[in-house]
Amino acid sequence: MLRAFSTAATGMSAQQMMVDVTANNLANINTTGFKRSQINFQDLLYLKMRTSGSEIASGIESPSGIEIGSGVRAASTTKVYTAGEVVNTGRNLDIAITGDGFMQVSLPNGDTRYTRDGSLQINSEGQLVTTTGYAIEPAISIPTDTVSLDFGKDGSVNIMTASGTQSSIGNIQLVRFPNPSGLSSEGDNLLAETEASGTSTSGIAGEDGFGAIQAGFLEKSNVQMVTELVNLIAAQRAYEVNSRAIKAGDEMLRNSIQIAR
Amino acid sequence: MSEMQTQISSAITGLTREFNVIAHNLANVSTVGYKRRYHTFSKTLMNQGAVPAKGTRDEIDLHSILDFSQGSFIETGRSLDFALGGKGFFMLETPDGPLYTRDGKFLMNKDRQIVDSAGRIVAGESGAITLPADVDISQLNVSTDGNITAEGLSVGKFKFVDFKENEATLSAVGFNCFQAPKNIKPELPENLIVKQGYQEGSNVEMVEELVDMVMVTRLYEANMKFLTTGSESTKSLMSVATS
Repeated sequence: MLRAFSTAATGMSAQQMMVDVTANNLANINTTGFKRSQINFQDLLYLKMRTSGSEIASGIESPSGIEIGSGVRAASTTKVYTAGEVVNTGRNLDIAITGDGFMQVSLPNGDTRYTRDGSLQINSEGQLVTTTGYAIEPAISIPTDTVSLDFGKDGSVNIMTASGTQSSIGNIQLVRFPNPSGLSSEGDNLLAETEASGTSTSGIAGEDGFGAIQAGFLEKSNVQMVTELVNLIAAQRAYEVNSRAIKAGDEMLRNSIQIAR
Repeated sequence: MSEMQTQISSAITGLTREFNVIAHNLANVSTVGYKRRYHTFSKTLMNQGAVPAKGTRDEIDLHSILDFSQGSFIETGRSLDFALGGKGFFMLETPDGPLYTRDGKFLMNKDRQIVDSAGRIVAGESGAITLPADVDISQLNVSTDGNITAEGLSVGKFKFVDFKENEATLSAVGFNCFQAPKNIKPELPENLIVKQGYQEGSNVEMVEELVDMVMVTRLYEANMKFLTTGSESTKSLMSVATS
């Protein structure tokens, strides 16, 4: 059989994966703190029919070899950690990290996850939680007599009580990773540490290269609609052209079958 | 088999190979840093009038040569994406010796070294490039000659190589990499620039490949026709002889 069939099939499945990734980016165009994914392709191994530099006649070396490739594969998907657009919401519990860093979130089972989604809420126990209800780590409890709350640029949580006393009740700590592209996406805008991401180092917002906390703002997704649409069209066309190769191969086989008749 | 039929069958083998190469190019139309192969078999065949001329049998070979022309620049904005402009390669260090690539989508591993997307270490002028612990990827700045700095401090320099006239001896080993024969030594590149935040797209031109594909299919068809006509005439000759 023609090797081209399987080669073109790898091309088709790779382009299909590109459409999947692009569709997910587009679906999350309005997701707070979402970072777009990008898919990386690599060519597959080559069948070497003759290596370059081999002797074709006595004393004559072949200047180039014969190598026939076997297609393409998806090597990895990487999250692109460029900054998203920061928009003013005016809500006092919305925070944006302007720069590098993730907030820590603790799951009910005690595991730690990381997020850049800063649309915070206060739950029934007065704890600062994410939209999904997971507590921010280190935990911040807000006293019941609080009348106003605001965040400092360094992540400090400042409150004013009914009696008029002002105090700082905690800090939102930021962490960062040697290789943020290695974090695994867990859904609900959460990320988990992996072997590849390396271990986290924590720090204070606005210092040592960490981004500052901006209250009243949210970081939108960094998905650019135009870029994604261009990718979508490119993937669609590439898919089409690969299916065309299968069709052409089919025609060639039909021709060969006909001579046997 | 007659001389004619032997020639036709080698033409068919050559065309099948060329078709496989075109399919491989098309499959890699969006592979970063991919270099297309061009093939002259069908063109030579076309000049000889669809069927290989007598005496050219030894030359019938699929010359698939890597085309190292520049791919287009695609902006990504990622600080560890690099595109090369001009002739040259990044060097990767592997246990099996150096590999060369133009795929500059790099990552940082947990030891803070710059690696490619398969985790192979990218060579700097003095071994692996390790980022200091207090430096973040987004603070990296890479000049057009490959000097890596972070916040004004020098971190390292990419090692670039070129093969100049020996370029044709490179062989593709898959996963976006090329390997050089043992006796060929890499040289220093000239007029090579590196662009941060960009990727070099594949240099496969869809239209060109499609045109080649149509030509290969048609030549294949024509050769098949010749073969059928050839066997028909043998058949009638046989029937005359045996009647």
